[in-house]
Amino acid sequence: MEEYHRHCDEVGFNAEEAHNIVKECVDGVLGGEDYNHNNINQWTASIVEQSLTHLVKLGKAYKYIVTCAVVQKSAYGFHTASSCFWDTTSDGTCTVRWENRTMNCGVSLCRPGWSAVVFRLTATSASQVQAILLPQPPEYLELQAHAITPG
Amino acid sequence: MARGLGVLVALPFPLPVGFNAEEAHNIVKECVDGVLGGEDYNHNNINQWTASIVEQSLTHLVKLGKAYKYIVTCAVVQKSAYGFHTASSCFWDTTSDGTCTVRWENRTMNCIVNVFAIAIVL
Repeated sequence: MEEYHRHCDEVGFNAEEAHNIVKECVDGVLGGEDYNHNNINQWTASIVEQSLTHLVKLGKAYKYIVTCAVVQKSAYGFHTASSCFWDTTSDGTCTVRWENRTMNCGVSLCRPGWSAVVFRLTATSASQVQAILLPQPPEYLELQAHAITPG
Repeated sequence: MARGLGVLVALPFPLPVGFNAEEAHNIVKECVDGVLGGEDYNHNNINQWTASIVEQSLTHLVKLGKAYKYIVTCAVVQKSAYGFHTASSCFWDTTSDGTCTVRWENRTMNCIVNVFAIAIVL
């Protein structure tokens, strides 16, 4: 039986749309398959390439980073984490987790804003400089950890 | 607060001139060495280890003071006879954005850290 879980954390990002795109790609590549060492290269490459192609076809002004990890199901542990330093008002991420009887697949999609990112003044900035637009360092996105643990 | 357009201020960081993958690689490798060096895979600590790796890597990269956004991902896998494979693909500006991957292993685990750097264009 194939299951998938979703974790999306984004602002102004159509997560539902991205999630459906990625899920369809994973279903299309891994659906009905068992873990096979000979095919795994091709599968992970197909998943990221197809996902990326479909996302770009949406025609939105975004850059995309898609990563995919496939792990053979076993009693052994596998853990991933990610952290981002970007503009939390425009950038976003979405993760699709998929599994079947023999393997787990995790696909993460990061979508940083394209250009002319809007920064916000903060109390810690050089506030003595009075300006309308003062570039500020992007902010940290909270840590996202995904664990696929023996069970 | 001043009103009106066209007020120029000095940028707090230099404009991007291309991603220095070697520099990022060294930073990340040091972080992984510091967290996992000498350790054996331990289910109780793994959460803390992966979190430390991404946070420390990110902190050091940001300290470089360059106009980049960063995305750092880390995967740690216990060594076994079972398969593990990752892939990534990016749609970005190939002249200014970049990536680097650090692969690290010891007797009991494999660790893969990916850094993606997106140039901030003002």
